Amino acid sequence: MVVLQRKELTLAERMYLPEVLRGLSITFSKFFEKPMTRLYPEEPLPTNEVTRGQPRLVVKDDGNIACVSCGMCEIACPAYAITIDGGETDRPIEREPVRFEIDMLRCILCGFCEEACPKDAIFMSDELELAGFSRESLVYGIEQLKRPKSELQKRIDYVYRLNKRWRRAP
Amino acid sequence: MQDVPEYVIWTLKVVAVFGGLIATAAIMSLAERKVSAWMQYRYGPNRVGPFGLFQPLADGIKFIFKEELIPAGANKFMFRLAPALAAIPSMMTIAVIPMGTTAVVDGRAIPLSIAQIDIGAMYLVAIGSLSIYGMILGGWASNSKYSLLGGLRASAQVISYELTLLLSILCVVALSGSLDLTKIVESQQHVKDWNIFTPMGVIAFINFTIASFAETNRHPFDFAECEPELVGGFHTEYSAMRFALYFIGEYCAMTVMSCLNATLFFGGPSVPFLPEAHWALGMLAFFVKAGLFLFLFLWVRWTLPRFRFDQLMRLGWKVMLPIALFNLLVTGAWIAFAADA
Repeated sequence: MVVLQRKELTLAERMYLPEVLRGLSITFSKFFEKPMTRLYPEEPLPTNEVTRGQPRLVVKDDGNIACVSCGMCEIACPAYAITIDGGETDRPIEREPVRFEIDMLRCILCGFCEEACPKDAIFMSDELELAGFSRESLVYGIEQLKRPKSELQKRIDYVYRLNKRWRRAP
Repeated sequence: MQDVPEYVIWTLKVVAVFGGLIATAAIMSLAERKVSAWMQYRYGPNRVGPFGLFQPLADGIKFIFKEELIPAGANKFMFRLAPALAAIPSMMTIAVIPMGTTAVVDGRAIPLSIAQIDIGAMYLVAIGSLSIYGMILGGWASNSKYSLLGGLRASAQVISYELTLLLSILCVVALSGSLDLTKIVESQQHVKDWNIFTPMGVIAFINFTIASFAETNRHPFDFAECEPELVGGFHTEYSAMRFALYFIGEYCAMTVMSCLNATLFFGGPSVPFLPEAHWALGMLAFFVKAGLFLFLFLWVRWTLPRFRFDQLMRLGWKVMLPIALFNLLVTGAWIAFAADA
């Protein structure tokens, strides 16, 4: 059995008024302190390479995307957000997607596509904001998904570092 | 200026005071949110206009355009009437409060209150407590248990604290020797004459302030709209502009109580250390004093937790009423035996 030992109140505490004044002084002291709230649209959220934002296709230095339309990400995607139609190309990799769509409304930002990709073609960016006037406008095609490699370099390095840790020693 | 008819001046005064009161209520609705935000490390409304200054305007437009719902079992006539009944008395009571001494424009003396009646203090208390009918009727006409409970609580609370409020005002009336608020102000021309600087005045002031919080249904005594227990209290079923009207009434009542507090205990428009100050300066002094008390209302609201209802009743009947009665007795004895000596 637990007997709750209540604290004996002093006379000043039982009079209530001194304690009221003490409370008022506490709230007044907070009055001029800097707010902790972030004014969101003006002050965006801080992001770094660990941020898992929307997936983007890396544009290599030669101006092409690395995707060979193997369909690994399509299969890995738990939300069925990715749709790929493959096609041929004259470049040495021989295959490229003619259609690569990610339905951003289905995407759950899990990063499985990034993990699955064998050609380092798709990476998670730090872009988190998504807004549109119709569902169709939020199904992103190749052109909307393209991002230069320099913008995603930090994330690419991070993923390489992460995967190295998992690899067994030879 | 001399040939301007009397009724024009009267109309101007009424429009100015009434408009000022409504504007104060609007500013208070913004100030309430701003003050609460600043005390909680937040910014508060800051999207509409600079620093969110047009927020009350946006709120007003929103309230007007919102759909109004009347519960099926409600007494429709009473339901529509109640918010007006709650708001109007507090708007009426501002009439007797002297905002300044006497304005002199082009050699013509204009008293700076709408009505200079001999029994101003009594009129104020009598009319001011009528607003409780709006709450009770609103709670009853809504045909909702929460509303009814809120209305009942409001009535019980206001009746309990009305006594303390009256007895505290009576102390000041006894000290000043008049029920006329203008005379009460005149008797406190110098800082040393302010009623707050007498021992009876201090006790009356504390009693009055606490009772005025209960009278206006403000924290820590806002049992009429106690959210965790009663959803919204007496205004649970109200929506749109009628809901807003209750709040305009509440803020107006707060404003009147603040003005009354400044008038009774802090000399109203008397400027500290400048007894012969210009009337405009006196008005400014009055607004600053009333504004500080309005800020106190907000400050207390965002600091103290709500009482329990039995604690409220115990405080009202067993603590504050005896103190107020005793204080009045001491004041009477002091006036009878010590004041002349």
